[in-house]
Amino acid sequence: MTSEDNAFKALLDDYIVECLPLSERIADQFVELERCWRSGEPADELLPAVKGTLHTVKGNSAMMGLTPMQDVAHALEDVCVLLTREPDARGESSAALLVEGGGLLVDLVRTAGAGDGIEAAAAFGQRVRGFLAQVGRNGSAAAEHADRRKGDRRSAPRGPGTEAAGNVVRVDFRQLDTLLEVLGEGMIEHSAVNEAYRRLMRRVGELEELSDLDRAVVALEKTMKRMEAVVMGTRLLPISTVFGRFPRLVRDLAHTAQKRVRLVTSGGETPMDKAILDRLSEPLIHLLTNAVVHGLESREDRVRSGKPEEGVIELRAASHSGRVMIVLADDGRGLDEAKIQAKAEALGLEAAGVDSGNRHAVIFAPGFSTAEQVSSLAGRGVGLDVVARSIHGLGGTIEVVSRPGQGLSFTLSLPLTLAIVRSLIIEVDRERFAVPISHVAETVRAEADAIHEINRRGVTLWRGDLIHVADGGELLGTTERADSPRRFYIVISSGAKRRGLMVDRLIGHQDVVVKGLDPALGHPDVVSGTTILGDGRVACILDAVRILDQRAAGAPSTGATERRMSA
Amino acid sequence: MTRDDLLRFADSVAKDAAPAAGTAVPGPELHLVTFALDREDFGVPVDQVREIIRVGEITRVPQAPAHVRGVANLRGRILAVVEIRTRLGLTPGVLSPRSRIIVVEIEGRVLGILVDAVLQVVKVPVEAVTAAPDEVLSPQTDYISGVARWNSRLIILLDVEKVLLLND
Amino acid sequence: MPNSFLVVDDSKLHHQMYKVVFSRGTLAGSTLYHATNGREGYAVLAEHPELSLVLLDLNMPEMNGLELLARRRAEQLHLHIPVVLVTTEATPEDEARGRAAGAWDYLRKPFQPADVEQLVARALAGASVSTGK
Repeated sequence: MTSEDNAFKALLDDYIVECLPLSERIADQFVELERCWRSGEPADELLPAVKGTLHTVKGNSAMMGLTPMQDVAHALEDVCVLLTREPDARGESSAALLVEGGGLLVDLVRTAGAGDGIEAAAAFGQRVRGFLAQVGRNGSAAAEHADRRKGDRRSAPRGPGTEAAGNVVRVDFRQLDTLLEVLGEGMIEHSAVNEAYRRLMRRVGELEELSDLDRAVVALEKTMKRMEAVVMGTRLLPISTVFGRFPRLVRDLAHTAQKRVRLVTSGGETPMDKAILDRLSEPLIHLLTNAVVHGLESREDRVRSGKPEEGVIELRAASHSGRVMIVLADDGRGLDEAKIQAKAEALGLEAAGVDSGNRHAVIFAPGFSTAEQVSSLAGRGVGLDVVARSIHGLGGTIEVVSRPGQGLSFTLSLPLTLAIVRSLIIEVDRERFAVPISHVAETVRAEADAIHEINRRGVTLWRGDLIHVADGGELLGTTERADSPRRFYIVISSGAKRRGLMVDRLIGHQDVVVKGLDPALGHPDVVSGTTILGDGRVACILDAVRILDQRAAGAPSTGATERRMSA
Repeated sequence: MTRDDLLRFADSVAKDAAPAAGTAVPGPELHLVTFALDREDFGVPVDQVREIIRVGEITRVPQAPAHVRGVANLRGRILAVVEIRTRLGLTPGVLSPRSRIIVVEIEGRVLGILVDAVLQVVKVPVEAVTAAPDEVLSPQTDYISGVARWNSRLIILLDVEKVLLLND
Repeated sequence: MPNSFLVVDDSKLHHQMYKVVFSRGTLAGSTLYHATNGREGYAVLAEHPELSLVLLDLNMPEMNGLELLARRRAEQLHLHIPVVLVTTEATPEDEARGRAAGAWDYLRKPFQPADVEQLVARALAGASVSTGK
C-alpha cells in the first residue's frame, strides 16, 4: 500500500516534522554505538533507547502507509533485539549495518511523499535477513516477544520538538519573513515620525502641549525596539538543528577516506535566526569535508607523529553579546605555510597578514587551493572563497588560525539576528545601489519622450498620476557620468508619495543583509545603510523615505539633464 | 593654517635637532608604521595598526564627508576608508600599485586610511619626537601629534584617535 | 449533543490523525479532547463523565496506558466509559493483561478511520466489555 490511498496522506508534513528528528536521533545513536563498540565500550544503555524510538517511527510510518520506512524500522528493530540478546554479535559488521540502516531511514523519512525508496528498503531488508540468519537465530518473533515482556515503558528521554500539543502553532516561515519586513517598515516610519517631531520642536520650541507628543514618541521607540526583539525571537532555532546531521556526515567521510574521526560538538542549544541557519549548513559542511579529507592526516601518519589514531574535530557554538561564535577545529596537520607562500606569490597576493588572529586570510582568496589530490569527495579542496562569500553574505566573518602539525581552526562570527531586506539592485553610472523592494512601486523602461519638464523639474505620467522624476546620477552624486541616456526609471514610493528615479540598469532582486553606517560616514541623506552584494562589492542601501522627502533639491535642471530626459 | 606652515615648522625642527644616530643607550622608543602621502612621510603607532591591505574595490558613499573615500569589504566587515590627503589640502590621490589601506583600530572602532605607499616599521627614540606647537596646528591639522626625526628623515606622527573622530 | 471522545497519545502526528478520523463519516461533528501523556489524560477523563470513548496509547512517558488504567480502577473513576488501548502488535497475553486492567478493547496500529468508526459504533451501542475481538 502506498500513501496515495491512505486517509492520512495530507498529514505528510506532520509526519516528517515528528519522525525526522526521531530518525536522526536513531541514526546518531547508531553512529555513537559504532564508535563505542570500536573502542571497547559496551554502551549498554543505548540499545534500549534506540529500540523505543524505532518502535515509534515504525508505528507512525505504518499508520501513514509508508511501507519502506516501516520495513526499514522493523528490520533495524530486529537487529537491535538480536544484539541485545547476543552481546557477542556486537561488532564491526553489526554496527555498520545499523549505521547504514539509520542513514537510510533518515533519507526515507526526509523525502517521504516522493514515493521512492522501495528498492532501497527492500535491499536493506535482505541484508538484515542475511545477517540474522548468519548469526544463527531464526526470525524475530520469538525474540521480540521475549523482549516485550520486559515492559513497554520507554526510557529514552524525549528530544526537542515534543512540546505539549496545545502551546505550539505551526506558522509558515515566510510569514515570519513578512512580519520582519513589516516591522522594518514600521521602524523606518517611526524614524520619520521622530524626525518630523524634532523639526517641529525646533520650530516651535518647548511647548507644554507638546510634552504629551514627546512622551508618545519616546514610548513608541521603546515599543518598536521591544517588538523587534519579540519578532526576532520567533525566528530563533537552536543551532543543533544544523549540527544534527554532522556526526553522520563525518562518519561517512571518514569511512571513505579511511580515517578514524570523531566529531565533538557543544553549544547546540545556542539559538540562531532560522534564516541564517538555513544558509549556514552548506559552508559548515564544506569546512567539515575539508577537515576530514585534507586537514586530518592518515592513520599511519598520525601514529608516526605521536598522535592518537583517531582524529578529533571540534565544533563549538556560543553566543556573545549579540553574535554567535562558531569554532570548527581539527587536530590535523594545519596549513602548509610553504605551499601557501608559493601559491600566494603565484597569484600575486600577500601570503601572511599582520593580524595574528587571522594570518592566513589569503586562503580565502578566489582560486586558492593547495590540495593536489583530486578526491571524489572534495574535488580539489572545496574553495574556501565560496565558504567565505557565504559567511559574508550572512553578515558574518570567518578567520583561520593554523598551528603547523597541530591543527587548523576556523572561527565564524555571525549575527544573532538578521536584518534582511529584499531589494532591487540598480546601477547608475556603473555604481550599484540597493533599493528595498517594499519601496519600489514599479520599474519602467524609459521611453524617448515620456519625461517632460515642468518648472525645470522632470515629470512624467505614471499610471495616471503626474510624478516627479530625478536623475539617479544627480541624486546620488555619481562621479563618472555615462553619456548614453538612462534606460529605466524606478518609481520609489512610501505612503502616498511617489517619485521616479532614472537609472541605467536593473540588475535584479536580492535579499541583502543590512549593515549599519559607520559613524565616519556622517549622516548621508539618501543612504540608510550598506550591504555586501553577491559579488563581494559593497553597495549603499538607498533611503527611499528620505529621497521622497527631498524637495528635488540637488537635482536642478541642467542642460545635461534636459538632454538626457528628452533623448 | 596650512600644510605649508606645517612643513616650515618641520624644517625648523630639522635644523635644530641634534643628530640622533650613534647614541649608546637606547631609551624609550616609539614603534611606528610609516607610510608615504605625496612627498611626506607619516607614522602611526604599530599597536594601533590592525593590518595593511591592498586596495580593492572602494564603494563611494553619496553625501559622505569629502575625506571619506568610501567603504570596502574587509572579509565581511564594512570598512570606511578615509583619505588624509584631502584633509591636508592635497588633491585626492591617484591609486598606484603601491597604494595601500592601513587598517587602524582603537577600542573596537576600525577605520581604513588610504596611503600612497607603506614604507617600513621603525623604532624611534622618544627624544627624537617633538610635539607640534599650537600655532602650527589647526582644525585641518589637529590630528598631528608631533614630528619625529629619524635617519635624517622627518616622520609626521598621526594621532589615530583624532583621525577616527573625523566627522564633519 | 454531539458525542465526545478523548485521545491520549504523546505523538503529535497521531493527534493530527485522530482529528482526521473524527471529522469524517459517522464521526463528523464529534467533540475531541487531546492529552499528550497519561497524567494529562487522567485529568481530562476526570473532568468529562460524558465521554463516549477513550483512545489510549500504550507507550507514553509520565504514566503509560496501563498505569492510567490501574489508577482509574484504584480510584473507581468513571468506570462506565469504555477505554481502548492503542498499540502495535499485542500478543494474547498482553491483551489479557490489558483487559484485566480495565481496557474495554484493543486497537491495533496501523488502523484506518473505518476501524475507529466500528469501535465507536459498538461502544455507543452499549456493548459490554468484549472478551475477544
